[in-house]
Amino acid sequence: MTGVYEGLTVIELADRRNQWAGKLLSDGGARVIQVEPIAGSPGRWCGPFADDKPDPDLCIDYWWNNTGKQSAAVDVARPAGRDLLKQLLAKADVFLESTPPGTLANLGLGYDAAASNRNLIYASLTDFGQDGPWRDYVANDVAHLALGGQMASSGYSDPKETPIGGKGHHAWHMGCAFMLHGITAALIERMGSGEGQFIDVSIHDACAIGTEAAVPQWMYYGSTMYRQTGMHANPKRQPPLQLPTADGKYMIAVMQNFGRPVWEKLIKWMDEKGVTGELHDPKYQDEAFRMSEYRTGNVIRDAIARLIAASDGEECFHRAQSYNISWGLVRAAEENYDVAHYRQRDYWRSIEHPQIGRAIPYPRGPFACDALRIEPRGRAPNLGEHTQHVLAHDLGMSADAIMALRTSGVVR
Amino acid sequence: MNTTSTARPGVLSGVRVLDFTWKTVGPWSTRLLTHYGAEVIHVERAGGWDDHRYNAAPSIVTDEPKVAQTLGMKKVYSDPQFNTHRDESAAATERPKLYAAPYFNTLHNGKLAISLNTKSPEGLKIVERLIGMCDALVENFSAEVLPSWGLTWERLHAINPRLVYMSTSGFGHTGDWKTYRSYGPTAAAQSGLSLASGLPGKPPAGWGFSYLDVMGGWMGGLSLIQGLLQAKKTGEGCHIDYSVTEGAMSMLGTYMLDYQVNGRRTRRPDFPPGNRAVFPALAPHNTYRCAGRDRNGQDWWIFIACETQVQFEALCSVMEQPGLVLDTKFATNEARVTNQAELDQIISNWTRPRRRYDIMRKCQAAGIVAAVVQNAEDRVEYDPQLQHREVFPVIENPEVGGAFSYERYPVRLSRTPATVQSRAPVLAEHNQYVFGELLQMSEAEINSLRERGVI
Repeated sequence: MTGVYEGLTVIELADRRNQWAGKLLSDGGARVIQVEPIAGSPGRWCGPFADDKPDPDLCIDYWWNNTGKQSAAVDVARPAGRDLLKQLLAKADVFLESTPPGTLANLGLGYDAAASNRNLIYASLTDFGQDGPWRDYVANDVAHLALGGQMASSGYSDPKETPIGGKGHHAWHMGCAFMLHGITAALIERMGSGEGQFIDVSIHDACAIGTEAAVPQWMYYGSTMYRQTGMHANPKRQPPLQLPTADGKYMIAVMQNFGRPVWEKLIKWMDEKGVTGELHDPKYQDEAFRMSEYRTGNVIRDAIARLIAASDGEECFHRAQSYNISWGLVRAAEENYDVAHYRQRDYWRSIEHPQIGRAIPYPRGPFACDALRIEPRGRAPNLGEHTQHVLAHDLGMSADAIMALRTSGVVR
Repeated sequence: MNTTSTARPGVLSGVRVLDFTWKTVGPWSTRLLTHYGAEVIHVERAGGWDDHRYNAAPSIVTDEPKVAQTLGMKKVYSDPQFNTHRDESAAATERPKLYAAPYFNTLHNGKLAISLNTKSPEGLKIVERLIGMCDALVENFSAEVLPSWGLTWERLHAINPRLVYMSTSGFGHTGDWKTYRSYGPTAAAQSGLSLASGLPGKPPAGWGFSYLDVMGGWMGGLSLIQGLLQAKKTGEGCHIDYSVTEGAMSMLGTYMLDYQVNGRRTRRPDFPPGNRAVFPALAPHNTYRCAGRDRNGQDWWIFIACETQVQFEALCSVMEQPGLVLDTKFATNEARVTNQAELDQIISNWTRPRRRYDIMRKCQAAGIVAAVVQNAEDRVEYDPQLQHREVFPVIENPEVGGAFSYERYPVRLSRTPATVQSRAPVLAEHNQYVFGELLQMSEAEINSLRERGVI
């Protein structure tokens, strides 16, 4: 097996916040052992489920976020379970955890205790970080999008409408991205020093710097952003850029410069649809005038809206792109399965799922790179699927000892 | 004038990166490396400048007099997406003299800046020499640009076998759409992200902070750190072809698989569900209007969620409506989900006249998920947690006449801290260091290149 994280052993304490980070470590070739509660990771119980049947081994969100991992179901609240985790940490390269600050220290599993393994990179991804007045506040993904500023910039131009936190656990994704930076940087550093370290990433900190120009606009100009339907928040209200197509979809007609060659093609397209209006007036030949009108006036914008309203979404997208115009079609995620471009780029990975008796095409991963090779390498584990293997092979326990732990409910 | 690079502490100290990025997504990725001490050389076209420097006060440190003159003529080089250029010259005069627009200062802090004409054969020779001295090369041009300079991956690898080359583009460097262009919102639309944000029955709300310009940069930065790790292990460089759209799709896997397994589409009447929760279905789980408005007249809001029965009971008690717990319409989560419109109205009636931070404090003290919808002002000025964690440090920059606020890099490593290294560079500030010291050019050579517009 190759990949950027090949050869590493990661212990992941099951949690919905950190599981995507663990997935990318696993997809990158690390052996990731997820230590789960006896009842299963909370990530197994959120749904959606295959055939909408609630079952810890049928949770699709868990399948996606835990590809290639191994599952050891251990009750770490009990001393015997705690001891197993301690033994696993003694041999691990990375420990990924998201418990409320102080929880593991109270169990004797804080960084100080675990650092007897000098190699260990101890990665704590928490809601608010290890210190500060909100340290013990509770949050979920959408709460972070609220506190972090994502919501304040997303929603509708209608000021009566609520701010929106988009779906898909993106506050957690943002936290995970930074945690992966930290872990990967610590791995580079460890090659020289031979020592691991403690990494504290707060999801709130991560979200708080993730609002593009909103913070610099405030810090330097005292400007507050308006929410605008389907487009950038901005200190000034702007006309819509997300425009309906003839076939009931939406185009995002991102603003860009229209140089002469682009402009001529655009006008020809408008002519075909009979929506050009006054744009044949010679004054629009002047790029400076044209761009100024486009930015501040309504004539060009209205013509573009008519053009999009007269064209189907696919036509709009391909035709605009063939003219070097960066417009995008608002697609549904699942509609990308039909796009040849992604097949040509070898984007799908077929993963067998005995639970449903067939394979499913998974998205490859964020990067196309053979050397890093970050891609799903196998399905997510069933609950406790690898408990036996981990206890016997990694910890060298006898069959009798494992049976005793099982009987007493310390492991499953 | 800071013309020499100082040694920068950090995990990537000694790593050198040639940075051809512009706009947002590329610059974010290389900025991340500066926090670890990498020397990032940001290249701007000779005679021009990065778009995000648009309409700034003229550079106060520059060896490019022609540029300063052009700026004086107020030639507009704005980013039309932001449409903010009309305000800024006025605002800038009231503020300490800025050497670059705010967003440039945010995206490029800690980098070095040089100017170079890559359209001239001499300029390209310099690029090739720099590639030989760098550990990584980053660009977010369209796919055809670097090959049009003769810099195919094969050529780059031949010049420097250890080079990590990361290209960020909307759709990647292969396939039918490799020439297609994209901004963050384009990729958000195409990936399916935009459609996953909004109220049912309304147009997509999208991601107004241009999520993919931000997260795309963070993921691109991750791939760079990963590439550097791999190069350190194997001695071999690699080409990372990062398609931002594919990166976004790799955060939508649950929806893709739900479609494959259950045939459920995200394009359906009850999706997206606004701020309500579908998987798992929970109620209450929504935003509620509070007293007061922001500076733009937009109402203030709070997000409240109860993920457990205990939290709901606590909420009823905080709202002083203990009877709700006994009402069959709200007694269980299942019942609350069924009747969530009515429940949302009850909660909204409670929050509407109340102050948002009071609500948050009271709810959090009772263990309920409650989160003010904070804007930038709230986070920078009032958020006690971010203040405690020093997420927006102010750094003195005496040589440009002031102190500036920055966004901290939010990874805290116990032994080898990542830091904000310095302000963003002034236009061509490091020409002398890069051409004179790194490339060992004589002053006469540098002057000659400058006169001919190569640098």
